[in-house]
Amino acid sequence: MRPMRKILLVVERDLRRFIQYKFLVILRTIWFGAQVAFFGLIASRMVVPELADIYFEFYIAGVVIMMLYSSSVFIGYDIFEEAEHGVFEYLLSLPVSRRELVLGRSIGGGIRSFILVGPIIAITLAIIGWANLPNLLLAFTALFLFAFGVSGMSITIAVTLKSGDHFDIFMGVLSAFIVRLSTTMYPQAFVQDASQAYAILSQFNPVTYASDLFRWGTGIERYLTMSPMPLAALIGIVIFFFLFTLVGVTFYEKRLEGGGWQ
Amino acid sequence: MKAIIHLVEYDFRNFFRYKWWLAGLISMNLADLLIMAVVYNQMLSPEITELIRSYISFFAPGVTVVGLFASAFMIGREINMEVRRQIHHYMLSLPITRLELAVGRLLAGGLRGMMYMTPLLLTTFIIVGFPTPLQLLIILGALFLLATGIAGVSIAIAVSISSFEKFITARGLIYYLLFFCSSIFYPLTLIQKLGQEGIMPQPFVTLAELNPLSNCANLIRAFLLGNPPFTLDMIRNLIVFSAVFVGTATVAYMKIIQRK
Repeated sequence: MRPMRKILLVVERDLRRFIQYKFLVILRTIWFGAQVAFFGLIASRMVVPELADIYFEFYIAGVVIMMLYSSSVFIGYDIFEEAEHGVFEYLLSLPVSRRELVLGRSIGGGIRSFILVGPIIAITLAIIGWANLPNLLLAFTALFLFAFGVSGMSITIAVTLKSGDHFDIFMGVLSAFIVRLSTTMYPQAFVQDASQAYAILSQFNPVTYASDLFRWGTGIERYLTMSPMPLAALIGIVIFFFLFTLVGVTFYEKRLEGGGWQ
Repeated sequence: MKAIIHLVEYDFRNFFRYKWWLAGLISMNLADLLIMAVVYNQMLSPEITELIRSYISFFAPGVTVVGLFASAFMIGREINMEVRRQIHHYMLSLPITRLELAVGRLLAGGLRGMMYMTPLLLTTFIIVGFPTPLQLLIILGALFLLATGIAGVSIAIAVSISSFEKFITARGLIYYLLFFCSSIFYPLTLIQKLGQEGIMPQPFVTLAELNPLSNCANLIRAFLLGNPPFTLDMIRNLIVFSAVFVGTATVAYMKIIQRK
């Protein structure tokens, strides 16, 4: 069997497993609805006049990226569940190399999150619209890379930590900081006004690159962080994708040998 | 009384097993306060700044209430797990009456919420200012009413739903509805204004006004910030919420757990 075919089989397995998570889909949908109908709507009445006219659209675009991030992280929880139930041994017995396995899982994780966020993106586009189709398609391509990169990051952390509880907590704290120290909820100009340190961290944050690209793709260009757009954000996403896919593959391969996940 | 104290001790021991989880939750609450609130403070319109002084001062009581809510709700997760793993049979075999069992679990849930919330409340006091001793007593009393009411909601759901996934979904629905349709993140007047403009449906405006999280956060703000003004309605709403859900949870726990 060719390597590509094997990777596709791993991707297919992860996609099939995803159907089990229907409650996750319901929960995420409720969360999105609450964020848009309450927080987005009400917060847009709280902000300064120069931001107020676009803040609702700005915020919804950020919520989509938050969802994409948190859904892509989910593959790490699967890895822990498999380790607990002895599925790892079965996976290792398959005629699939370690590298194909982790690449397949990273891609599967990314596609899963896109399937989950797809309807939400459609609703968002119906609300905020888009100005330019090629820009939107370019933004989507970059968001795919972002989702694969986050899945790779989640796999890397999952195989580095041995306890499922520690992983749960670590990802919770990391998500809290990585999302808040990005431009998902607020423009970079205001982060800069709040704190120079926050602004620096926000500028080197993949979630900021993804938010900027999605907003650029939908035509919300007033408060973009990266310059020149879209090149700077694209470079950031591509580096993030390669770094974590590569690191994820290496870590996963090393951990799998000799029962290192146990 | 001794049986109830034993149950409270049992639940507190369980609570400390989640110390890493609690540390994670605290850091998330602090990230909200130290990052999100600091940035939002820069984004506030002059009218809102006039109304709430600063977003950090406004949001600090909200974070305290959010922390209390999340930790008091944890008792439901544990009871749901006990029901699924049949541990409740062991609990029922103990020389403790059903009523003591229900009251002990409720009290433990509320007290655990109070314990978790204490560092957040202290942070709020440090940021916003300290209340008078009488105000402090009222704040603690209100928070305790809220904590036991929330423990009641979570226990009532936990014993009524046997599937963990359904419990998590119900919890998510309650979390998001009560968090976002409240005055935790924004002043109640903004929600009321959206209601008057016809943008926010009236049932949501009423929910935000009666929401125990709104009442508790506003009560703390009334004493520490002077706005919104303190009214007895805040206390009355919290007493009603707590009484209804403590009663519901007690009956549900005693009846349903015997049947399962």
